[in-house]
Amino acid sequence: MRRLPVYLLIDTSGSMRGEPIESVKVGLEAMVSSLRQDPFALESVNISIITYDRDVKQILPLTPLDELQLPEITTPESGPTHTGQALRLLCEKIDSEVRLSTPDEKGDWMPLLFLMTDGKPSDIQLYNEMIPEVRKRHFASIIACAAGMSARTEPLKALTDEVYSLDTVDSTAFKKFFKWVSDSIGVGNRSIGATDNLVLPPPPDEVNVIV
Amino acid sequence: MNRQQRIASRHNLTVARLNDTARALDKAIIRAGVPQADREPFIDWTVSLLWQQYKDQRMNQRLIIENEIRNLGIRFPNGTVKKEYTTCFKLPFDKISDVSLEGAGDLGLDFDCTAAGECSLSGRPLKAGDFTLVLRYHTVEGEPASELKIPLAFNPDPRELWVNKPTSRDIIFYKEDSETAYLKVEAGEDGSPKKDIVAASQRGRSHAQEGRPRDDHFSLFHCDDSDWYVIAVADGAGSAKFSRRGSQVACERVIDHCRSLLADNMAFETAIREFEADRTDAGKRTALTRHVIDIVYQGAIKAHEAVKKAAEANESAVLKDFATTLMFAICKRYDFGWFIASFWVGDGAMCLFDANNKTAKLLGTPDEGEFSGQTRFLTMPEIFRDPDVVAKRLRMAIVPDFTALFLMTDGVSDPMFETDRNLNDYSRWEEFYNRLRQGFPDDEIGGVDLSDDNEAAKDQLLGWLDFWSPGNHDDRTIAILY
Repeated sequence: MRRLPVYLLIDTSGSMRGEPIESVKVGLEAMVSSLRQDPFALESVNISIITYDRDVKQILPLTPLDELQLPEITTPESGPTHTGQALRLLCEKIDSEVRLSTPDEKGDWMPLLFLMTDGKPSDIQLYNEMIPEVRKRHFASIIACAAGMSARTEPLKALTDEVYSLDTVDSTAFKKFFKWVSDSIGVGNRSIGATDNLVLPPPPDEVNVIV
Repeated sequence: MNRQQRIASRHNLTVARLNDTARALDKAIIRAGVPQADREPFIDWTVSLLWQQYKDQRMNQRLIIENEIRNLGIRFPNGTVKKEYTTCFKLPFDKISDVSLEGAGDLGLDFDCTAAGECSLSGRPLKAGDFTLVLRYHTVEGEPASELKIPLAFNPDPRELWVNKPTSRDIIFYKEDSETAYLKVEAGEDGSPKKDIVAASQRGRSHAQEGRPRDDHFSLFHCDDSDWYVIAVADGAGSAKFSRRGSQVACERVIDHCRSLLADNMAFETAIREFEADRTDAGKRTALTRHVIDIVYQGAIKAHEAVKKAAEANESAVLKDFATTLMFAICKRYDFGWFIASFWVGDGAMCLFDANNKTAKLLGTPDEGEFSGQTRFLTMPEIFRDPDVVAKRLRMAIVPDFTALFLMTDGVSDPMFETDRNLNDYSRWEEFYNRLRQGFPDDEIGGVDLSDDNEAAKDQLLGWLDFWSPGNHDDRTIAILY
């Protein structure tokens, strides 16, 4: 079956510890529940989660929505935010997990990427080096979210035109954000193939558009 | 000794033994130097201390076992509502007893364990959602029951989540959500039956879910005088806002163009006959190709221009908004066999299927990218700038006869053939033909009776297009000349 691969990159650096990361978990749970109510998503969406702080981990390999069980997400006390390394792991995973069309196999739909951070890349050089690599992977859409007041949007704008921000990092904001993510995944499912860039649904009030 | 005497004697023995124990304890307390007055509080203190230690140890034992159970990491995989569900796990029955799984029954599941602790949870889940089951068990005699919460999720049945929202009739370029046609061609003067065309187009479930219109289109034509058949099928791009109109304009323009050029084209007819008389003659081939270019290739260009014009007429849109694929074929029967010429840009499938000779000839190559859903559209100007466009997209064939000529959008060909390789595999086409006629009995979807002049076939075909295929819910259109 053709899959719609969805990659979620989640900042788990020390500043996310406590309420912010708990809110992210609540948001993710709500997102999965909501996607399960969409018959098309249920049959095609596959989700992978990569967390990044000092360490970068794929805590959920690309998994069909119907089989998905959210893994534990942990945050260290403090330390750097290795966003560049996260992008590198993302590219590796795209190369090994996403299927391209061959005469014998139908390829996946173009993947979607959602990246969330509450700070800025500590490994900015690697981050900048990885941007063209990410572009080469042909994402149908890359959506970046700067969560909270200390999140920097400039580095995100180098990665994608679709940059959004959340003023707060509480559960209401994240719930709304991930609801919108799941709506956007729904759009990804629909406009399959035909367009070069996805037309996203309008974000909720809590999510600001960065131009 | 009678019974009473025996009881009395045993009683005396017990009393004597107790007296011995009490005396020994007394002596030990005296030896330890406990004054008379402290004796009773001391005994109370001792007993309560030991009791506390005993209880602590028992609790610790329970906690150790609880930890062990937690560390088993029992997780239940997700299931789907009403679909058979089974999961197995092992519990250390040498350490726990009175095991139950609360909430399982309410979900329609049975929980069973063997004496060795091989446990299973199985059944058909009654409802979809996220649930929490509680594994309850006893560890140590006297300790309260222990609990372990285990989450369990049942997915809804995707088939039950689909809703069919009619398309609003107020939208610009409104199109019916489904369409059928049967082009019945009466037998010739000699009484021999003539092939008919049946076609159906059904809005995809993914469109119906959101009340979005059908973007596919087809048009059929048969000229009673010249006996030419023209069939066109187009797939409007899913995300292009006016692609429903693009596919319609493309089909209609092609039919118009071919109709006018085929009505009374003696030069073309002669070229076909002369080529057939000597297929090795390059000059005759060139002459015929020139006609085919005028009719078929020019038809595609006219269709491209017509869609472009439609886009220009709409101020709020650009050509991309009308993006559509297009495949069409012109066919005619001669005494020597069938002449077929076709043009194809985009995905889907167009195939000349011959069950008697076991051949399936694809009339072109589907345009597909490295990811699913990527294709080329008639509306892309580069299609006609390609110097090889004629060689790539134009096809011409003469065959003695055939079972069916199929034209279908990817909504049908993707689920039915999946890959390019399968599209080139005769056995898959045979399987497809059988499925078409037999339907899908498991899903209560009937087949299509493709016998001559069966006008009911159009409704059978529309019903058949409702077949189920996970992940494939695009618009579906198919036209069959048979």
